Amino acid sequence: METASSTLPQSSLLADPNNKRQRAYLIRQIIIYGLLLMGAALVLIPFVWMIATSLKTPEQLFASKFSFVPDPAVPQNYIDVWGKMASIAPGMTFLRILGNTLFITILAMVGEIFSASVVAYGFSRFQWRGRNVVFAIMLSTVMIPGVVTRIPAFLLWKQIGLLNTYDPLTWPSLFAWGPVFVFLMRQFFLSIPREIEEAAILDGANVAQIYFYIMLPLIRPILLAIAVLSFQGNWNNFQGPLIYLRTTQMDPLALAMQFFNQSLSQTAPAWQYMMALTTMMSIPVLIIYFLAQKQFIEGINFGAVIG
Amino acid sequence: MDPGPLNTYGPTFIRYILVAIGIVIFIWIVYRVQIALGVKREAATGRALVSPWVLFFVVFEVFPIGTSLYLSFTQYNLFKAPEWIGLENYKQLFALQIVSLPPPDQRDKSPLPPGYEEVQRVTFGDGGIVIGAKQAPFWRSMRLTILYAFLSVPIGLIGALGVALLLNQNVRGLGFWRVLYYMPAILPAVATALLWRWIFSPSGLLNNVMAPVYNLVSLSPPRWFSDPNLALPAFLIVSLWGVFGANSVILLAGLKGIPHELYEVAEIDGAGAWAKFRFVTIPMLSPSLFYNLVTSTIAAVQVFEVAAFIPLPASTGTFLNWLIYQEAFNYQAMGLASAMGWIMLLLILAMTLLIFRSSSAWVFYQGAREGAT
Repeated sequence: METASSTLPQSSLLADPNNKRQRAYLIRQIIIYGLLLMGAALVLIPFVWMIATSLKTPEQLFASKFSFVPDPAVPQNYIDVWGKMASIAPGMTFLRILGNTLFITILAMVGEIFSASVVAYGFSRFQWRGRNVVFAIMLSTVMIPGVVTRIPAFLLWKQIGLLNTYDPLTWPSLFAWGPVFVFLMRQFFLSIPREIEEAAILDGANVAQIYFYIMLPLIRPILLAIAVLSFQGNWNNFQGPLIYLRTTQMDPLALAMQFFNQSLSQTAPAWQYMMALTTMMSIPVLIIYFLAQKQFIEGINFGAVIG
Repeated sequence: MDPGPLNTYGPTFIRYILVAIGIVIFIWIVYRVQIALGVKREAATGRALVSPWVLFFVVFEVFPIGTSLYLSFTQYNLFKAPEWIGLENYKQLFALQIVSLPPPDQRDKSPLPPGYEEVQRVTFGDGGIVIGAKQAPFWRSMRLTILYAFLSVPIGLIGALGVALLLNQNVRGLGFWRVLYYMPAILPAVATALLWRWIFSPSGLLNNVMAPVYNLVSLSPPRWFSDPNLALPAFLIVSLWGVFGANSVILLAGLKGIPHELYEVAEIDGAGAWAKFRFVTIPMLSPSLFYNLVTSTIAAVQVFEVAAFIPLPASTGTFLNWLIYQEAFNYQAMGLASAMGWIMLLLILAMTLLIFRSSSAWVFYQGAREGAT
């Protein structure tokens, strides 16, 4: 940073001030990049360990000399783990579990995106009495811990007879269950100049037309950011499926991991299989993260504006 | 037992579509009703568009909160109708006993009255006290959860600030480092939990790497999560891994937003690096720090997945959220679990209130300041 060097006297009569300044700068750079690399190692080593373990044989797991390089590497683990799973729960195949996860994730994601944009539209582009109060109530619901609503919500779904279906995990998203997404969208809507709508209204467009033809294209960047965050949230969801699903064949990946952990891996943890599952669970979100990292970071920083 | 994929996806998908259509109709009805009542078109449209969320709020927030409060005064096991027992659940939970510890030669039997189990023992010299409770697992879990929140949040925040400051040093390839450091926050919590359980297992990576250090101080390899004294430190180390993630990215955005002139002015006034950090960076960053503090505290109290995947010794307890889940869904004690849930809600409220109350002392809002002058 230039501030550090500028504190040194510019017209020093000491011998070789340039050299001294340069050395200080160099040491500083070495410390900064050294720390950055150390942090990178701390971040990456567990990832490497996860993938390495998933490719090991049981003997290699507890070998007295540990190694990051599986030798021999057994990618077969990724197939075998599903064989093990199907052996105690017939029908629990990779495709089935992946299908379950994607089914829940995509329906919930689509619901979240559409409902959040509609509700945010109502909160930002129209004047109505009570708007700010309702919005404040909505934001404050982030604070309600799931632990108090969990049991009654369970009883409610039980009452309607929709326990052990995907319903509790999917269509309530159509009612804008995520206040944070509504908030992000509202901020974005507020940044769009009003004249755009007014011109459309003069041309005789109705609200639905303005929303679909003018607003949606304009908010595309934030839609993408929310899609990415929502995919991650629903893909990673564990608590919801745990409460509402009973049939193991209906499990999403996160629950299948718990099923494996509690049945086949209970007494003697089969870490190579568990890490294979962990890797499979992590890879889709990591890929999406790398593809859409800009949206991710933007979405998160946007979230910070609430504070 | 398993109805097959089509029979599980199909009905839900149909209901999903029907609900979507239903919501559109609902919005339209809310709009028409307001128009019929003479509300202006703009206001009617705005309210109509927000109405689906209001419906959700009533059905899935207000009603459950009310029901849960009611259930906390009942005994309910799903099979028989809830039976009103007044404050019994709360009395049961707050049944605590503090007795003095008997002399060392008489410690073979518990000094606690029957029905009570030991939660915490504090010894000083030869004497000491034993705290016991009827619901010992609840208090052990309270202890673990509160200690975890109180320790992991400040440590995590300071760590995140450190990473953010480092990334703010005009480093080359900032985008790369930021993407890298955020990676742990992307991982599903279930994956993180399993991964760290493996790394911390007695013959896992950590103990392997640390083996030379243990040898040097002649220490047997710690058993981390299986050791009542080391479970909490292990959880703190795990929580630190997340530090690199979301919090530092948010703080970095905050740092980037500090106007450069402020530092220049401070320099003219003769401020050194520390003074600039203390009197420019910290006040300007305090809203971001505040936001992080609130969200991380709420999140830390509600840790769930980690507890589901990492078995802990009974004397450690477990995380409160997981304990309450088990109480409700494994033991069908819906009433008692609801009471625990309410105590947890009050705990979260108390913690947030504490942070909010303290905020006026240290959070600096530029807008507020400008308004005052």
